[in-house]
Amino acid sequence: MRHIPRGLRALTAAAVTVTLLAASACGGDSGGASSSADGGKVTLRFTWWGSDTRTKLTQQVIDAYQKDHPNVTIKGEFGEWSGYWDKLATTVAANDAPDIIQMDEKYLREYADRGALLDLKKADGLDTGKFEPDTLGAGEFDGGLYGLNAGINSFAVVVNPAAFKTAGVAIPDDKTWTWDDFAKTAAEITTKTGGKVTGTGALGTNEAGLNLWARQNGESLWTKDGKLGVSPEKTTDFFKYILKLRDAKAIPSAEAISQDMNASLDQSAFATGKLAMSFIWSNQLVAFSKATGQQLKLLRIPSPDGQAAKNGSYYKGSMFWSISARSKHQKEAAEFVNYLANNTAAGDVLLAERGVPPNTEVRAEVTPKLKPEDAATAKFIQDIKQDLGDPSPAPPVGGGQVEKIIQRYTTEVLFGRQAPDAAAKAFLNEVNGELK
Amino acid sequence: MSALGELGSLRGKKPVGQKKDNLAGYLFLAPWLLGLFLITIGPMVASLYLSFTDYNLIQAPKWIGLENFTRMLSDERLHNSLRVTFTYVFVSVPLQLAIALLLAVVLDRGVRGMAFYRSVFYLPSLLGSSVAIAILWRQVFGTTGLLNQVLDVFGIEGKGWISDPSTALGTLVVLNVWTFGSPMVIFLAGLRQIPTMYYEAASVDGAGVLRRFFSITLPLLTPIIFFNLVLQIIHAFQSFTQAFVVSGGSGGPSDSTMFFTLYLYDRGFGNFDMGYASAMAWFLLVIIGVFTAANFFASKYWVFYDD
Repeated sequence: MRHIPRGLRALTAAAVTVTLLAASACGGDSGGASSSADGGKVTLRFTWWGSDTRTKLTQQVIDAYQKDHPNVTIKGEFGEWSGYWDKLATTVAANDAPDIIQMDEKYLREYADRGALLDLKKADGLDTGKFEPDTLGAGEFDGGLYGLNAGINSFAVVVNPAAFKTAGVAIPDDKTWTWDDFAKTAAEITTKTGGKVTGTGALGTNEAGLNLWARQNGESLWTKDGKLGVSPEKTTDFFKYILKLRDAKAIPSAEAISQDMNASLDQSAFATGKLAMSFIWSNQLVAFSKATGQQLKLLRIPSPDGQAAKNGSYYKGSMFWSISARSKHQKEAAEFVNYLANNTAAGDVLLAERGVPPNTEVRAEVTPKLKPEDAATAKFIQDIKQDLGDPSPAPPVGGGQVEKIIQRYTTEVLFGRQAPDAAAKAFLNEVNGELK
Repeated sequence: MSALGELGSLRGKKPVGQKKDNLAGYLFLAPWLLGLFLITIGPMVASLYLSFTDYNLIQAPKWIGLENFTRMLSDERLHNSLRVTFTYVFVSVPLQLAIALLLAVVLDRGVRGMAFYRSVFYLPSLLGSSVAIAILWRQVFGTTGLLNQVLDVFGIEGKGWISDPSTALGTLVVLNVWTFGSPMVIFLAGLRQIPTMYYEAASVDGAGVLRRFFSITLPLLTPIIFFNLVLQIIHAFQSFTQAFVVSGGSGGPSDSTMFFTLYLYDRGFGNFDMGYASAMAWFLLVIIGVFTAANFFASKYWVFYDD
């Protein structure tokens, strides 16, 4: 050390410091203001949740788009539903949000109200002219369009006919079945297969079941002005019904249900053939068909008195396309979303995996080409059209938490740690506390 | 001591060019210092500020004074998370240290192939807080997991250990106990420091194995036990990965594995409540600080320094 001149030593150290500073500064500056509409290379990040099936189809569409647009590179970031929202929140907070975001109704307002999403009405290159009129509404509020409907779905009962056959039980008529019929059928399957196959997955592993339950009884999970619309009494009934299913052995053990709440679609009890029925979103039929390797069937949700028109069903935006408000390439992102939503070539690949296409032209184009499971989804959506109730109001800010909360209280009830009425009260209290 | 004497004389002398050396020293420290300020202290100060604000990650923080802290008083899920964390810390740490000490004493008695055993027992400590092990844990304790298959051989009907609220925390305690390797290695080093003449003298006087352990090993090892205790308690309070992975990020079933850190994360990133989460982080710092201080205070009464 002593032989090196003082100046040089200081210089070396200073150089190290500068290099480090530069390196750390790089992180915040990449990309910069290099917004390039003039044919420069653009990299877009696109994030979605879903099963393997969805990831493969989406990647195919990305590849096709990149071929037509050599200046655009699209990097897919995908994961399971359960980890997706943590990751998205983290990247948005770090000012590192993906350009194109697959969004869910539950979180749409959460992000949009805080200015994280672009108003798609103001986006260049995105056309919604061919959309079926009421399909845009769910992504529209405060005069802006923050999520573009990516597909229509509906809550439904999925049936594995092979399991019914093994059990020697006939598939009931879903136009007339009641909740009692449903419980009886499910219990019968468990009994007749000696417990090898359980009748059905539980209600209460997400909030959709409660919403339909409420709608069948003249209430609704959310009101139009963003409040809770379900009463403690109806919620208590809902939990009581879950207990009834448990006691009749129509559903798996409490432990198995609680484990299933965190399982990925491909690993879930229904996908692995342990259940004869389950509650799903209609578009998930495609992924579940792949996972089970079976021809599955969709049934209407049961109703209190056997009238399908009173089962509270509604068309939901299965998911939405949103663009980050901080995206540096908003135009290119909008063009890609436009391709996803309106291009028949993209529709030919994606089919009905994200739900039935809301663009009527795309729908007409792809309908004849649908594979059996996609066709079944599309047909189900078509069939229930005459029985639909009012649209279901979107959850308010803070409402995104409701899924985790109802899972927790369903677990409490199933394990017998809380009585249905106590659980109902605590559940509503907690959801109210999360609303902002 | 001669080394200290030398150091003293060096200090007294103030050789020419020491100032220059200092500068170079600081400059060479700079990368680490920068890291400390930018990556540790900077964010800590920021989080202290955020703990007094309402901050939803996207919009600018709003100053709300002590509201986040008063909110903690009535937050039942937070109280539950404290219960879960305390149970975890005060069950798993003593168990872990007891097993570590026991195995260290056994290994210290000159077992053949000791280097091998030492490595094998240390391995879990290297892996313990990793995601891979937590995933493995999920498989082992799941409804169709290894544990149930083994139980099945003996005709015992297993259960979903991880998905039952009454046993889920237990599996995490076992996971922490299983990582007894690192305190064990420290105990081993400590055992080597105890002069063999004490044992020889005790043997001559007819003291048995147990007597020697309780009258020689344990008292002389108290500084090491104390060290391990402080370290492991702090470590256990900060546990996150295991619970996050095993419960699929939910702290479930029924919040039974909802560690304080996990709830903090849930509030911050799941619920966009970063101000509250920051306040929780500072509360955790205070809790750990209090326990560490209490530990040091109590050590006066039971730790024996042989010097």
